[in-house]
Amino acid sequence: MNEEAKREGVHLEARGFSVFYGAHEAVCKVDVSVPCGLVTAIIGPSGCGKSTFLRAINRMNDLIPGCRAAGELLFDGQNVYGPEVDAAVLRRRVGMVFQKPNPFPKSIYDNVAYGPRLHDRCKRGELDAIVEESLVNAALWDEVKDRLHMNALGLSGGQAQRLCLARALAVKPEILLMDEPTSALDPKATARIEELIVQLRGRYTIAIVTHNMQQAARVSDRTAFFYEGNLVEFDATETLFTRPREKQTEDYITGRFG
Amino acid sequence: MRLKLRKLMDHALTAGGYLAIGGMALFLLWVLVPVFTKGFGAYVFRGTVEHRRMMLGEFNRGDLARLRAELAEVWRAREPVYRAVAAFERELDAMPAARRKALRSAFREVREGVAVLLGPEPGVPLPALTRRLYGQTRWEQAREKAADILFEETWEYSDAGSRRVLVPRAEQFEGTALAPVFDSVERDLAAMMRPRLTVYPRFLTDRSIDAHFFGGIGPEVLGTLYLSLGAMLVAVPLGIVAAVYFQEYAKEGPSVAFLRSCVNTLAGVPSVVFGLFGLAFFINTLRVSPGKSVLAGALTLALLVLPTVIRASEEAIAAVPRAFKEGAMALGAGRFRTVATVILPAALPGILTGIVISMGRAAGETAPIIFTAAVSVGQMVKPSEVLSQPTPALSWNLYNLCTEHEAVEELRHVQFGMAATLVLIVLALNLAAILLRARVARRLKG
Amino acid sequence: MLLSPGARTRRRLAELAGRGVLFGITSVAALAVMAIIFFIARDALPFFTQVGAREFFLSTEWYPAHQPPRFGAAAIFAGSLLVTAAAVLLAVPLGLFAALCMSDVLPFGVRQILKPVIEMLAAIPSVVYGFFALTVVAPLMQNAGSWLPGQFEIASGVNALTASLILAVMALPTIVSVSEDALQAAGRELREGSYALGATRAETLFKVVVPASVSGLFSAVLLGVMRAMGETMVVWMASGNAAQIPRPWYNLLQPVRTLTATIAGDMGEADQMTGSAHYHVLFAMGLCLLLVSFACNLAGEWIVARQRKRLRGG
Ligand SMILES: Nc1ncnc2c1ncn2[C@@H]1O[C@H](COP(=O)(O)OP(=O)(O)OP(=O)(O)O)[C@@H](O)[C@H]1O
Ligand SMILES: [Mg+2]
Repeated sequence: MNEEAKREGVHLEARGFSVFYGAHEAVCKVDVSVPCGLVTAIIGPSGCGKSTFLRAINRMNDLIPGCRAAGELLFDGQNVYGPEVDAAVLRRRVGMVFQKPNPFPKSIYDNVAYGPRLHDRCKRGELDAIVEESLVNAALWDEVKDRLHMNALGLSGGQAQRLCLARALAVKPEILLMDEPTSALDPKATARIEELIVQLRGRYTIAIVTHNMQQAARVSDRTAFFYEGNLVEFDATETLFTRPREKQTEDYITGRFG
Repeated sequence: MRLKLRKLMDHALTAGGYLAIGGMALFLLWVLVPVFTKGFGAYVFRGTVEHRRMMLGEFNRGDLARLRAELAEVWRAREPVYRAVAAFERELDAMPAARRKALRSAFREVREGVAVLLGPEPGVPLPALTRRLYGQTRWEQAREKAADILFEETWEYSDAGSRRVLVPRAEQFEGTALAPVFDSVERDLAAMMRPRLTVYPRFLTDRSIDAHFFGGIGPEVLGTLYLSLGAMLVAVPLGIVAAVYFQEYAKEGPSVAFLRSCVNTLAGVPSVVFGLFGLAFFINTLRVSPGKSVLAGALTLALLVLPTVIRASEEAIAAVPRAFKEGAMALGAGRFRTVATVILPAALPGILTGIVISMGRAAGETAPIIFTAAVSVGQMVKPSEVLSQPTPALSWNLYNLCTEHEAVEELRHVQFGMAATLVLIVLALNLAAILLRARVARRLKG
Repeated sequence: MLLSPGARTRRRLAELAGRGVLFGITSVAALAVMAIIFFIARDALPFFTQVGAREFFLSTEWYPAHQPPRFGAAAIFAGSLLVTAAAVLLAVPLGLFAALCMSDVLPFGVRQILKPVIEMLAAIPSVVYGFFALTVVAPLMQNAGSWLPGQFEIASGVNALTASLILAVMALPTIVSVSEDALQAAGRELREGSYALGATRAETLFKVVVPASVSGLFSAVLLGVMRAMGETMVVWMASGNAAQIPRPWYNLLQPVRTLTATIAGDMGEADQMTGSAHYHVLFAMGLCLLLVSFACNLAGEWIVARQRKRLRGG
């Protein structure tokens, strides 16, 4: 697939996809197609299943006892929950950045090199190159290039979150999932991350969960609105924010509830 | 390829973990199953007529008339043995010197074996030791002793090592007047001993007779109770006060940090060192008693469990919701009243859990009481004597009985009985703690 | 609500007095450890002044009942060291695997069942373990020589290996529960971060979780060492009590004698003659045990403090 075809193409598609916690259905029969290379925002009131849906994409929910998925979730045409899919391989192709920065208690260098070291037998030089490239892409290189071997726990919150982004980029994923990546950060750090998302757009397919409507409007091409586990509306961001088709969407984005 | 290797490592980890866990569980079973099954044998076993005779003679328990009738029955089976022994003794005197010499010591062994199996021969003066007043009281041991009569044990030595060989004595005494003994012992053993399923719950409380040859483990159980209760009597108030101080009063500072570190250090002191300290301090310096005593042992054990009590109480107090405390303070209660009326009652179940576990620990410890409280042979200690008298205790006497006693092999049932009783006491206390903790957890949840 | 100045002063005084009493009682409890050091040292010192430390630490001739007595405890120190080291070497890998399994592999329900099992393992009195070693393990060990492959000569079922095996089991519960707590404390976020990069469970555990909780794991090992070193009854009953250094030194199938067992075994005779050199030498051994356990404690506290400092950022 060339760059242009990918851009037009569908990278991720859910068909009647549900996720259950025990008997509780947290995501109900969602149908959605996430296009290649674009930024898709997921919004909705607290507890509506945004995180659950996002975590279902790279099967993070497998780690939660009692959680299971039903329906189809196709990634590049292949069912993510198919028997032949290995979660470790899948997660390499589908990176994730979490709400709270979670750097490993290792050096900055080792944090970024963690993924590549797992998957390939890299030479020292290659590894250095990957680490530098990832840190540059995460706009952290200039701040840490002199102290790559310092413990990552010493970084500030915003720096740590960018480190986590760099760490995710280092394994060269195809999709990047972000679950409220800026909710623990101050406005300045938030702006940096948003900038980054815009820069990464086109190279990666990005799905971002956010509670911040302006943020969704600023960074995303498409927006999905979830309500009580259901996908209520999915459209181009501009359309959804200016001319929502559903009443619930309009109420939510105008702040009448949630 | 690399992925396969990674998966393999992952499975290896899982397998290793399961192996370790499974191993631990299996080991627990390996310890508990023999201890409990064999320990059960001290309480429920096949007792012979000698057991009933001993019970009547020593504890005055049982029905004299029925025992008489039973003894008459038994006599009919035993009489041929005694008759043969007496006849052979006469025959022996008449034998040529060489043959007499050859047979005399073997005959002595048989005669001794009969006395061990059936009790003292009628007509001879009664032996001085109580253990020799009765024959075998347990059926499985009676069978072993019978085998000792029937076979002579010899050892065959070769390069590969030594091997036990059993030679039937009947061959040696073929054609003599003693021969019928072997026939009757082989054939009529059950009639001579009359084994019957015996339930002996009072093994737990009976005094022991002649260093545990007969009777129960009452003095040991009582001693263990004295020691563990006494230890808690000292450790609990001290521990709770210290916990309250650390949690509610102490301001963080060097002196409090130092006290805390002292408590941690106390927790790491080896138990045998507590014993040494008890001897050097409570007995040799303070002279709380002229020598070993329950009091000195309890004080030593109290120090040993103190850190556990403090930690458990601290945890329980810390788990009391702050709202409780603030509510009481807001009502104008002073700090002391808040602690006494709100915090301690709320923390009580948690504190109790710690107490119960510590008590189990105190009951099972051996090393600290060796030099401070324990004696190998002793009678029940009266409550009035705890300040001055040493006592037997389950833990110490189990050690003593299985290593230093003169009849280690014959008293296995008593040893297992003691071990099972001790484990049962400790596990019951722990189970109580687990249940209590579950209740606390439920209550805190809502 | 206003109190009169007098009542307020009284209340303050009462509070202060109460605080003083509580502090006093707490100090008594805490300072017991000082008393222990003092009295053990007091009864140990006469040995060092009468006989001297040289023979004690360097000689292997332990003949306390001879005339003149010899108090060379080197073999006994070696015995303690050997048995403890073997027990820890057995228990640490096993305990860490079990803890990893408990914290990350087993489903929640199974873990809830296993916790009491481990507590039971810890609760069984040491004398019962010793009895078990003597009546069950030692006979097996004795016979093992004949059916194990290779040339094994097991003179007696009570030897360093038997004692170490049982000690390992006794140290396991401490190691497992403390390390499990440490592993749990590493947190879910950290694990998810690693899984999200495509790591397997083994990789997540060994490359992220274990390094993150290494100080807790180290304390677990230290506690295990202390438990194994301070244990008395099992080594007394199952180690054979021969004051000799095995030949070769790692031969666990020979009997050894440990410090704790020597104290427990000899004090019975020695306390009849309080004040004799034999009595004092046992206190000297107690003092050594005490000092080693202090060292372990200090090391543990130092590790915890360092970890706290590192987590605060530095
Ligand atoms: N581990 C879990 N076990 C059981 N139920 C869960 C679990 N995690 C989430 N849920 C439930 O699933 C539903 C969706 O949760 P989810 O975390 O996906 O919401 P969310 O949209 O991300 O909310 P927020 O904006 O607050 O992060 C909620 O009702 C929640 O209670
Ligand atoms: Mg969420």
